[in-house]
Amino acid sequence: MQIDKILVSLFQRAFKSITDEMSISLTKTTRSPILCEAKDFVTGLYDAEGRMLEQTENLPILSFSLGPVCKVILEQYGSNIHEGDVIIHNDVFSMGNQNNDVAIFKPIFAKGKLVGWSAAKGHQADIGGAVQGGYNPNATEVWQEAIRIPATKLYEKGKLRKDVWNLIFANIRLQMVQEDIKAQIGACTLGERRLQVFVEKYGLEVFEAHKQALFDSTEKMMRSEIRKIPNGVYEGKSMVYYDGKHKGTRFPIHAKISVKSDQIVFDFSKSSPQTKGFVNGTYTSTCSAITLTLLQMVNPHIPHNEGMLKPLTYIVPEGTILNASWPAATTFGNHLCPQIADSIFKALGPAVPDRITAGWNHLLCSLFTGTHVRTGRKYVDICFLGMKGGGGALKGNDGYDHIGMIDASGGVLDQDYEMYEIQTPHLILQHEYLCDSGGAGQWRGGLGTETKIWLRGNDTTMVVFGDGDIEPNYGLFGGKGSVLNKIELRYKNGKKIIPLNKDIILGIPDKTLYYQIAGGGGGYGNPKKRDRNSVLRDLKNEVISKKAAEKIYGLKTASKRKKP
Amino acid sequence: MRYKLGIDIGGTFTDLILIAESGETTIHKTLSTPEDPSVGFINGIRELSEMNDMPFEKLVQAIDTIVHGTTVATNALLTLRGATTALVTTKGFRDALEMRRGIREEQYNNHYRNVEPLAPRHLRYTVNERIDAEGKILQKLDEKELLLLVRKLKMSKVESVAICFMNSYKNAIHEKKALQYLRKNLPGIFITASYEVLPSIRFYERISTTTVSAYVGPIVANYFEKLQQKLREIKFTGVLLVMQSNGGVVSPEAVCKNPAVTVLSGPAAAPTAGAFYSKMLNYRNCITVDMGGTSFDAALVIDNQCITGTEGSINRYRIALPSLDIITIGAGGGSIGWINEGGLLQMGPQSAGALPGPVCYNRGGELPTCTDADLLLGYLNPTFFAGGKLKLDKKKAEKSIQEKLASPLGLSLLEAAAGMYRIINSNMAQGVRQISIERGYDPREFLFIVAGGAGSIHASEICKELEIPMFLVPNVSSIFCAAGMLLGDLKHDYIRSYYTSFQSMDKKKFLSLFKEMQEEGLTTLSGEGVNKNKVTYQPVIDMRYNGQYHEVQLSCNWDDILNLRFDNIFETFHHEHNRQFGYSLKEEGTEMEIINLRLRVTGHNEKPQFLSKNTRRISASDAIKEHRDVYIPELNKMKKVPVYDGDQPIWGETIQGPCVIEKITTCIFVSEGYTCKVDDWGSFLVHEKTHSPARLKQAKLSAHAN
Repeated sequence: MQIDKILVSLFQRAFKSITDEMSISLTKTTRSPILCEAKDFVTGLYDAEGRMLEQTENLPILSFSLGPVCKVILEQYGSNIHEGDVIIHNDVFSMGNQNNDVAIFKPIFAKGKLVGWSAAKGHQADIGGAVQGGYNPNATEVWQEAIRIPATKLYEKGKLRKDVWNLIFANIRLQMVQEDIKAQIGACTLGERRLQVFVEKYGLEVFEAHKQALFDSTEKMMRSEIRKIPNGVYEGKSMVYYDGKHKGTRFPIHAKISVKSDQIVFDFSKSSPQTKGFVNGTYTSTCSAITLTLLQMVNPHIPHNEGMLKPLTYIVPEGTILNASWPAATTFGNHLCPQIADSIFKALGPAVPDRITAGWNHLLCSLFTGTHVRTGRKYVDICFLGMKGGGGALKGNDGYDHIGMIDASGGVLDQDYEMYEIQTPHLILQHEYLCDSGGAGQWRGGLGTETKIWLRGNDTTMVVFGDGDIEPNYGLFGGKGSVLNKIELRYKNGKKIIPLNKDIILGIPDKTLYYQIAGGGGGYGNPKKRDRNSVLRDLKNEVISKKAAEKIYGLKTASKRKKP
Repeated sequence: MRYKLGIDIGGTFTDLILIAESGETTIHKTLSTPEDPSVGFINGIRELSEMNDMPFEKLVQAIDTIVHGTTVATNALLTLRGATTALVTTKGFRDALEMRRGIREEQYNNHYRNVEPLAPRHLRYTVNERIDAEGKILQKLDEKELLLLVRKLKMSKVESVAICFMNSYKNAIHEKKALQYLRKNLPGIFITASYEVLPSIRFYERISTTTVSAYVGPIVANYFEKLQQKLREIKFTGVLLVMQSNGGVVSPEAVCKNPAVTVLSGPAAAPTAGAFYSKMLNYRNCITVDMGGTSFDAALVIDNQCITGTEGSINRYRIALPSLDIITIGAGGGSIGWINEGGLLQMGPQSAGALPGPVCYNRGGELPTCTDADLLLGYLNPTFFAGGKLKLDKKKAEKSIQEKLASPLGLSLLEAAAGMYRIINSNMAQGVRQISIERGYDPREFLFIVAGGAGSIHASEICKELEIPMFLVPNVSSIFCAAGMLLGDLKHDYIRSYYTSFQSMDKKKFLSLFKEMQEEGLTTLSGEGVNKNKVTYQPVIDMRYNGQYHEVQLSCNWDDILNLRFDNIFETFHHEHNRQFGYSLKEEGTEMEIINLRLRVTGHNEKPQFLSKNTRRISASDAIKEHRDVYIPELNKMKKVPVYDGDQPIWGETIQGPCVIEKITTCIFVSEGYTCKVDDWGSFLVHEKTHSPARLKQAKLSAHAN
C-alpha cells in the first residue's frame, strides 16, 4: 500500500488528540484531588496486539506499564474479548507498577473486529490494605498494602458484573474510588468512540499500514538519537536511604548502560537485593523510570509509541530492589525513580555531558487523611504543592523552578489553593520559592519551595514517604548541590515532630502547623562563571541572598560597582 | 445615506471597511501609527472620504457606528512591552503567578523555560490579610499595611497594579478596600482587582487573568482616551464599539474596566467573518488564517460556529475569560530574518512592525524582514505597494539581506530571500497544523480562507505543505477582520460564583444572581444603543456531580432558568456529561452542585449587506498590467509571469498560474500548477490544477459531511 506521509503525521496527532481528550475528561470528572488536580494518571491507546499507539503521560512513572498489562490481558482472555467488555487491573505481580495505580482497559471494535484498546490508569485515593491511602511503611507483604486485582472483567459485553464490582469495592474504604473508576471507564469509552470513528473513516487496511509506518518512523528517530551517544559501557550509582523499618539502612542502585550503535541496554543487575519493607520496585515501574529518564536526554518531539521502545533493552533481575519477588510489599517502588534517574545521568555524564542534568529534587511527600471539619466528609490528599522542588540545571539552562520530581517533570499540577481549602479543612499559610534553595552554578538549579499549612481537624493522619532529606541533590562540573528536603510538625503545645522519610503519624491535633521544605535542583558549572546579569536579577528577586551572591557567585558588592 | 465603519488596527496596517446602507462598500488600508494608533485611525477615515469624493466632516457625521478592533493589548503581550506591573497579593502567596502551578508544558524538554512573569518577583508585594474559604475574615486588612504598600509602590515606579487576594471570589471586601485606597493614593497609575476582572473561584486563573489585565491596562486605557478625544474633535456623534476576544463587541467604557477582554480583539473578527463567508459559499467548516505585519492567526469554524472557550492563553499567559479559540504565532510581513547560534536561518518572532518597519519602507528599518524578501522575490511591486502610496526601496532591501543574511550564510541574494520565504511559510504551516491536525481535524477537509495583506503571497506554499488543495482569498481579504467586526453582535459575558448543591440551593439567590447579571447586561447594552427587544440571553451553569472537582459549562435555556425548571437542566447535564466524558450518573441518582453562574447577554445588531458588483466585466487578458520576474518555488528560480490588475472587474474569469494578481490592498501569488477562479463578488478561489475537479469535490463534500 502507498503510504501517505501527511496521513502518517495526521495519525500521530489524531492519536495524541484522542489520548489528550481522554485525559481532559478524567481531569474534569474525577473526585480525588490526586487525580483531578495533580493528574496522577495516564491515558493511552494500544493496538489489537497491545502495542502502544500513543499515551498522554501526565505522570510518566505509571505510563509504561499499560502496554505490558494489555499484553497480559490478551494472553489471559484469548478469544474471549468482546465489544462492551471493561477490564480492571492493579496486580503488581502481573505487570502492574503500583497497587494504587488501577488500570481500566476497554477493547475497541470496528466492523466486528478487534482493532485496539483504550486504557486509563490512575492513582486511587484508597486501595484497601492496612492503611488508608495505601502507603504502609510497616508492610512486608502485598496483602498488607492492598487488594490485588489481576485482570478481571467488570463489564462483559456491555453488562455490569455487579457481584464482581461489589467484591472489589467491599475491600476499598472510600466511596470516591468507585466514582473515580467510573470516570476512568468513561474516559476509555471516549477513546473507544473516537478511535472507532477514525478506523472506520480510513478503513482497517489504511489504518494498519499507516500505524506501522508511524512505528517505523518513530523507531528510526529513536535509533538516530541513540547513535549520538558514543559506543561504550557506562556505570553509575545512587543510594536509597531507609526501608521504612530499619533505621539507617541504605540500598545502592547500580546502572550499567551499554550503547552499541543504535541500541541501548540498561542493566540494573548489580543493584541491592530486595528490602524487607515496602521500598521495592516492580518490573514495570523500573522500566518506566528508565524510559522516562532516557526521554529527558533525547529529542523531546519523538512520538510516544511502540516504535520508540524498540531499540531499548531492560535487564532488571527478579529479587532485586528494582524488581521484588512475590509476595513483597512494593508501594514505594514508583518513588525509586529519582535514584534510578540519578544513576543513569551519572553513568552517561562523561559520554554526553551536554545532555544530562544535575540532580533533581527527590520526592519527600506527605499524604493527609481525616474528616473534613465543615462537611463531615472523609478526605485523602497528597500534598503535591508542598513536595515539588527544583529541577537540575544543565548546560545552557537553569533548572526549572518548583517542577517536582523527575518522574513527573512538570506534569503534576499543584492543587489550586482555593479549591484545596474547600476540599480539605486545612488553611494554606505560605507556598513560595525558597531563597538560596537552587544549587549554585553557572546555570543555577531550579528553586525549591517553602510551605506552611495549618492543619485542621482532630483525626488527621499523616503518612510521609520519600527521600532527599539525607543526601543533597548533586551538582555537576563545579555546580553546587541544593538544600535538603524537610518536613516538620509543630503542635500547638510546642511539641515538634520531624518524621522519618517513611513514616506514619497518627492523631495530629487540631491547629498543628505543617512545615515543609522541598529542596532545589543541583547547579551546573562553576557559579563564579555565571552571567553577572543573571546573578543580579536573582539577587533583586530575592531568590539568592546577598551573602550567596558575594560568597558563592563572587559578585562584587553593589557599592563597589558603579552600574550593573 | 448612512454608513457603518469597521476599523481594524494591526501592528503594521490599519484596515478600514465602509459600508453604505445601499450595500456600496469601500475598503482601504493605511499604515498604522504605533506610537499613537489613533492618528492612523483618523487618517484612515480622512482617506476614505477622499476615495468617496465626500467632504471629511460630512462622512464623519453620516457614520452611525464604528466597530473597532485593536491589537494594542495583543502586541503588548506578544512583544512583552506592556506596563511595568506590580502585583499585590495575600502574604504567603508571592509566587503563585510565576509558579503557574508548577507546570512544564514540555515534560521531556529540559531546555524548555518558564515564561517571564508579567509582574517580576521584585514587584510582587504581599500584605497581611486573610479570608477563608467561607468568606470569613481571619485577618483584617489594616490601613497601615496599605500605607506601607503605597510607599513601596511609589518607590518602585510602577505604571500598573494588579490586586488579587485569596478567596476574594467569596468575599471581596479586602480587595475593594485595597483598590479604593490605592486608587486614591496613587493617581495616574492603572489599578485593577480580581473581583472586577474575573470574580470566580480558582486562585491561579484569577491572579493570572488579573495580572494580564493590569499589564495591558494602561496602554489600552490611554489609547481609548486619546481615540475618543480625537473622535470628539472631528465631531463624530455615532457609536464607537470595540471588538472583544469572545467575538462580540462592547463599548470602550466596558473595555477600560477590564482591558483583558481585548487581548484577542483583532483576531477574533476573522473567524466571525469566516463563518459568514463559508456559509455564503455553502461550506460548514473553514479555517481562517490572517497574516498581518506582526502576527499570524489561525482559527477554526465548525458548523458555522466560532469556537469559544475559557481555557485560553496567549504567549503561555493564562487568561480565563471567554474567548474564541485562536492560535497566534509571531509570523508576519515584519518578521525579522536572523541567524541562530547553530548558524541556521530563522524568521521572527521579532517583528519590525510598522516602525521602523521593513527595510524597504525606508522608515529607518535596518533588519531584513519577510516583506523585504517578498519584494526581492518579485511578489511585491515597488511602485504599487498600497496602490503606490508607499514606494518600496528595493536597493536598501537587497543590501540588508545581502549583508545581514546572504553573506554570513554564504548564500546568493536570491537563495537567502527564497530561504526567508520558505522558512516563514513553514512556520505558518505549523500554526495551521496546531489548530487543525493537533486537534484531530484534517485541514484538507476545510475551506481555507486567507486574510491579511501579505497572506495571499504565502498561502499556496502553506497549503502545499499541508496538502490543502485550494484556498479562498475573499474580496475583502486584506481587511477581513475589519469586515468581520461589522458582522459581530454586542456580547457581554458575566460570571458569579455560587457554590452550592442544587438540594440546598437558595432559589431566590439563584434567580437574583441571574437577574443581577441580566440587569447589568441590559444597562450596558442600552448605553450602547441597543433596543431591549434585540437582546437575547445565554445562561451557562458551571456544574458537576457532587464530589467532583471540575465542572461542566452547561449551556441552558433562559426560560428554564426563569421558571426554575431544574429537571430540564439535570437532563441536559446528564446528556452533556455522557457526550463529553463517556458516562453519566443519571441512574445512580447522584446529586449535582453549582460552582459558577454565567450569563452571556447579546444585543443583535443589523448586519450589512455585501453587494455583488458583477455588472461590468472585462476578460482577464485585458487586465494584464505587465510581466515581471517572480520567484517560483517549484522551479526554485525566478521566471517572468503576467501580472493582473485585480481591481479590474474580472469577475467570473479563470486565470492560470504562475501569475501575480495585484490589488491596491493585497497581492495574490498563484504559483506554477495552480489555477485561480474569480467569483461574482470578486473573491479569488485558487486551486491545484491537477487535483482540481476530484479533490475540490471531495473537500466540499466531506466538509459538508463533517
